[in-house]
Amino acid sequence: MPALIEARDVTKRYGRHIALDHATFRVETGRIVGLIGPNGAGKTSALRAILGLTSYQGHLRVLDREPFAERADLMRDACFIADVAVLPSWLRVDNAIDFVSGIHPRFRRERALALLAKTEISGRRRMRELSKGMKTQVHLALTMAIDARLFVLDEPTLGLDILARRSFYDALVNDYMDDTRTILITTHQVEEVEHLLTDVIFINKGRIVLDSSVEEIAARYAAVAVADAQLDAARLRKPFYERRTLGKTVLYFDRVAAGELAEWGEVLTPSIADLFVAKLSGTPA
Amino acid sequence: MNEYSWLIKREFWENRAIWILPAVIGMALTLGALFGKVEIDVTPSPDQVRTLGGTVLFGFGVTFFGVMNLYSTWYLLECLYADRKDRSILFWKSLPISDAKTVLAKLFTGVLVIPLVYFIAADISTLLIAFIVSVRARSTLAYGLWQSDLWLQLQALWIYLIVTTAIWYLPFVGYLLVISAWAKRAVILWSIVPPLAAYLLERWFFGTHWVGTLLVQRAFDYRSVAFHGTSDPYAWGGNVTAAGLIPAPQSVWRLLDPLEFVSRPATWMGLLVGVALIMGAIQLRLRVSET
Repeated sequence: MPALIEARDVTKRYGRHIALDHATFRVETGRIVGLIGPNGAGKTSALRAILGLTSYQGHLRVLDREPFAERADLMRDACFIADVAVLPSWLRVDNAIDFVSGIHPRFRRERALALLAKTEISGRRRMRELSKGMKTQVHLALTMAIDARLFVLDEPTLGLDILARRSFYDALVNDYMDDTRTILITTHQVEEVEHLLTDVIFINKGRIVLDSSVEEIAARYAAVAVADAQLDAARLRKPFYERRTLGKTVLYFDRVAAGELAEWGEVLTPSIADLFVAKLSGTPA
Repeated sequence: MNEYSWLIKREFWENRAIWILPAVIGMALTLGALFGKVEIDVTPSPDQVRTLGGTVLFGFGVTFFGVMNLYSTWYLLECLYADRKDRSILFWKSLPISDAKTVLAKLFTGVLVIPLVYFIAADISTLLIAFIVSVRARSTLAYGLWQSDLWLQLQALWIYLIVTTAIWYLPFVGYLLVISAWAKRAVILWSIVPPLAAYLLERWFFGTHWVGTLLVQRAFDYRSVAFHGTSDPYAWGGNVTAAGLIPAPQSVWRLLDPLEFVSRPATWMGLLVGVALIMGAIQLRLRVSET
């Protein structure tokens, strides 16, 4: 079975600026994938290419379609929410539901209404009368009512308060996710999503730095807090990153057996956020 | 087809002026008929009554058609720009509708749906007004307003105008859509600057007027291409009062010149240019990914 998303050497240029530089990665069905990178790393360009919003060079297949040439068809099986509240200000909530159910073959109207019923948003309201959080809730109700195989979220919780964020991710994992679906999330708040991700893709300066499942990360990467006295010995194992903390130095290792590290301290699996910082900060001397 | 009906419905939600503006004009004219006072101090002949009736009916039509032209020009210039401005384009693009369908739905709305709305509004308000005038005055004018053949002629004129202007002005329409799909801001300015610049540059550097002539011909030749000349006394014009000549459609049938319209190469050249520009607008719409 081919991957849900398969990218090989995907490159996107804006004039001289290279937003995506020969990006290669795969996303399989049933995964929750975090696309993680600093601002301007090419996250948005990658998502736009995947969603058929922009042209690109290289090989890219999403749900067995070529996104840019077949965007409309792709959107029958994929849906997305972009980084800011983008529902048109003049649109009324009930009209929005009518429109999407008129036009989308996989939209389940009752589900959208049920999701909206949990909120306090009346169908007669126009988007311009709603707060940012309410708009996001409407957008989510519209999108989660689509029986899509791929759901792409670009900074979905931007502008939401902490309660709304929590309930958003809970709904995503408990009500929406099942093994036929795949979710691709970008966010700069890694801590907020790391417990729900099954896979991560790190991107920096247009390049894919890491494309791995969470299990692989646990098997492959290790971090040990080493006391100063043992630092030189530990360094011989070639950590790819180190960081000072509380009088010790945390060393990060790639593909070094935990048993070989245990003599210096407790061996931990680095969190995704730590690994992200470690990977992107480059190798120390 | 169902998709197009939703897309056009969407245009009505977004641009409520499509129906509010003609409704307001209709209401204003109706109020005028209810409370207005017009005195004609001569006793006209039956011919003159007919001409007067025709003039009034024609005048209503011209009012609606004039406003419609202004509005639909604005609509075409704004339609692909508005959702880029408020970034809702990302929402529309998340739905399984191709960019070609989106652009075509807006094109149909601008050149056919909006004119039809005004056409219907003109008919409804003219009927209302004819009725009001009949009740109020029982005058010669009222008699003039209930000429079924004049009504029929005006309907024909409207339909003919909608179809032929849609074809003849398609290059302008396509150009407006291109600007609307492309400009990052100030669509009105951008719609004026390129043709003006082309005209001035050509004049300064080559001393010729090719661009200007082409634009002027496209803008003003429509009447001579789609209609018979006004010199035909049976076609256009008639005496209302002894003093003044008021043009009125004595017979629209003698006025329309569809044969000339379809046999002019300029008609079809324009159509081709228009289609090319619309395809360009679709390509631009496909590629608007930058924020």
